[in-house]
Amino acid sequence: MALRFLAAGLVVGMLTGSVLAAEPARAPTVKTPAPPGPPKVTVTLLSEAASIEPGASFWVGLRQRIAPGWHTYWTNPGDSGEPPTIDWTLPAGWQAGPLVFPQPERMPVGPLMSYGYTDEVVLLTRLTAPAGVPTGSPVTLRGHAAWLVCEKICIPEEAEVALTLPVMLGRAAPGAGASAIERTRRAVPGPSPWPATLRATPETVTVSVAAPGLEPDRIGKVLFFPDRWGVIDHAAVQEVSIDREGITLRAARGLLPEGAGSDLDGVLVIREKLDQGLVSQAFTIKAVAAGPGSGPSLSLLAAMGLALAGGLILNLMPCVLPVLSIKALALVGYAEASPGLVRRHGLVYTVGVLSCFTALAGALLALRASGAQIGWGFQLQSALVVTALAYVLFTLALSLSGLLVIGGHLTGLGQGLAARPGYAGSFFTGALATVAATPCTAPFMGAAVGYALTQPPVAALAVFEALGLGLALPFLALSLVPAWRRLLPRPGPWMARLSQALAFPLYASVAWLVWVVSRQAGPDGVALVLVGLLLIAFGAWLHHVARRAAPRWRRVATGLALASAAAAIALAPLAAAGPPSTATTGGPGGAAWEPFSPGRLAELRAQGRPVFVNFTAAWCITCLVNERVALRSPAVAETFARKGVVYLKADWTSRSAEIASVLDSFGRSGVPLYVVYPSRPGHPVAPEPRVLPQILSEGTIIDAIEKEIL
Amino acid sequence: MTPEELTRRRFLTRAAAGALVAGTVSALLPARPAWAAPAKVGEAAPGFTVNATNGSPVSLASYKGKVVVLEWTNHECPYVRKHYESGNMQGLQREATGQGVVWLTLISSSEGTQGYVTPPQADELTTSRNAAPTAVLLDTKGVAGKLYGATNTPHMYVVDKAGMLVYAGAIDDRPTSRRADVPGANNYVRAALDAVAAGQPVKTPITRAYGCTVKYS
Repeated sequence: MALRFLAAGLVVGMLTGSVLAAEPARAPTVKTPAPPGPPKVTVTLLSEAASIEPGASFWVGLRQRIAPGWHTYWTNPGDSGEPPTIDWTLPAGWQAGPLVFPQPERMPVGPLMSYGYTDEVVLLTRLTAPAGVPTGSPVTLRGHAAWLVCEKICIPEEAEVALTLPVMLGRAAPGAGASAIERTRRAVPGPSPWPATLRATPETVTVSVAAPGLEPDRIGKVLFFPDRWGVIDHAAVQEVSIDREGITLRAARGLLPEGAGSDLDGVLVIREKLDQGLVSQAFTIKAVAAGPGSGPSLSLLAAMGLALAGGLILNLMPCVLPVLSIKALALVGYAEASPGLVRRHGLVYTVGVLSCFTALAGALLALRASGAQIGWGFQLQSALVVTALAYVLFTLALSLSGLLVIGGHLTGLGQGLAARPGYAGSFFTGALATVAATPCTAPFMGAAVGYALTQPPVAALAVFEALGLGLALPFLALSLVPAWRRLLPRPGPWMARLSQALAFPLYASVAWLVWVVSRQAGPDGVALVLVGLLLIAFGAWLHHVARRAAPRWRRVATGLALASAAAAIALAPLAAAGPPSTATTGGPGGAAWEPFSPGRLAELRAQGRPVFVNFTAAWCITCLVNERVALRSPAVAETFARKGVVYLKADWTSRSAEIASVLDSFGRSGVPLYVVYPSRPGHPVAPEPRVLPQILSEGTIIDAIEKEIL
Repeated sequence: MTPEELTRRRFLTRAAAGALVAGTVSALLPARPAWAAPAKVGEAAPGFTVNATNGSPVSLASYKGKVVVLEWTNHECPYVRKHYESGNMQGLQREATGQGVVWLTLISSSEGTQGYVTPPQADELTTSRNAAPTAVLLDTKGVAGKLYGATNTPHMYVVDKAGMLVYAGAIDDRPTSRRADVPGANNYVRAALDAVAAGQPVKTPITRAYGCTVKYS
């Protein structure tokens, strides 16, 4: 019995209806070429599942086979036409989702433009069975499909479609339409990982997609299909430019005057040139309207204002506050000194902050100009810099704790490097505050820095200087206005307590930096950094002891202290040279991978195993986006497992000659690069590797694996 | 602003104006299928002169002081048939012309394409469909159609007494070819005509036209 139902269910795609419309015109004397007999589109209802599982959802597809020369329409049909519809007649409790359309084509019709499909298309609907659907008797799902099909002329057609499937407990086996539906689902635009904006002038509309790091040479074509009418002239040529920042698409404006005033959803199709031809991928994007200003969303002055506020807030960050408090406490000491001296110290401190900001911003801008994909905080991408920062902050913390006294005064309140008397001390306090502040992104700073990085160097530097000024401002104000200084409490033993307390935020900062090193250089790197910190502590103690010792011992202790510090410094590059950072971890649900080496690749290929190689780097934004969007998806992991694909990851974060030569063999000088090495067991000659697009989607990888690996 | 910038701006303005004139001229040249900036709602409706079915030229300018409806049509298009077979279009034509509105039906199908008719065939269609336009204009070369950016059949325009284009777009808000959708639809042309008659601005002046493409050559 059940078998018979199953058999009935497998007879999917019962086309019970015929074309109902397209009746002859009524005007009898005017010659009307009555639409020729057979329908231009034959439809079939497909199911991905061979049976219905109570309570489960599954995809069904309305397949349109379209006569040569004719076309049907996308959800936005373009200048004319009408999208297909399907009205479901389902048993009680069933639910049907909206029609889901795969990526369309642009079809010029004279001076007009249509968006739609030729040849064959499958339109998807997600159906959900009620939990209580009884097993045993088959269910028939009926729908009334209607569509417009056009060549030079247009014919509305419609048909009744139905599908009968058995109801069975347990996960359904793939139905007759499973492969066609799966293929279509991969052609359905997926969410875009990139933000997009919409700007308009009276004549043009510009859609900018922030997809950084694309190789323009390899992008064959970029098309944008707006979801709604009136914003973009459908027929207009879309001028596309691709640069480091992403994709910019400009077209003539549509007819709606207010059209560009609100966000525009649409589909971005990117066709990438690969050895085997063009690979087309589609993404849904939401182009956010830039508002009536239509200029940059932030003016230079506003950005500088935000930067100033951000700089002020930086003073409160745990890594900055202690550094500054040393200086503020020193001011208490100076209180009796001449106001002129205090003022000069304040100015020198400000100069220290600003010079350090200029140096950092200059380096950042220069590196970006040379093509590096880096942002603020880039200096922390080097494990060596992080280690050095950890040493400096640790030394400072020891000094605040009272364990390390540099410069002699016992009553000096933990005067470390930055408390050195004289103007040099003030200058370095400023520099140190800046260095310590860089990893902390204060609120307001993000927007300002983001703006700065899109501006020409002079404007960018102005924003960074405003940030620096904000950082320097509280101390500067204190030193310039004697009246405020009087608000500071009188010197006393509380100052020692406060400075000891302030050591702890610094220790916390050190702990954080060590964690950063652990991400960059692995456990060995952490061990070396910790040994370095130990040596610094030991050196500090020796130095402390030496101050009270007899002259002979003092020399020995000082020598040992210096040696200890030198050893710590020598360890820093070693710590930083630990195992290179990995671009990302596999992440939950992602496919398992092993590190790439040419030897491992050769070995696997000799064994006849198919291999997927991901050439990536921690600093490559596109790589990370691809990992997030595609490579970590459970479906990809499942496909790899099913096909026995070995996933190798070649990490180019720290450049390696081995990887460089492999990249070079594919004509690449950088990452991302994704290569499938197919295998044909029993074949004497291994098949050629296949390069995948630099922008990956789940569908692209699965398609390639399905196609290349049998 | 320096004098030099001023000059540059003036130059750019002139260049833009020149391009605009060139674009308009090229659109008026029937030999060129170029798609120039079409008529804009809120601006003066561009003038045209097209032969009516009786052979006499009809120009828009001659109707100055009257409200004019322009209807692009193609009698074989399923979307046009929806409105004629339901009587919707003829009803609106009678309603409008009864209030002194001039109704011009334009056919921009080029020879050999769907919807192309000779003058006698056009008159025959008017009779057999019981239509009531002021005149049917045969825009076989598509000059008027392209001037107005007519993309669909039906595609509707309303020009007010001052000669301003006040409506462009669909006949109603049901973009289908089903006759059953006519009764419940919101007719944009009727709404525009009512607003113009009441001396009020048209509430929905631009809509997306729906139907078949205009069969330009």
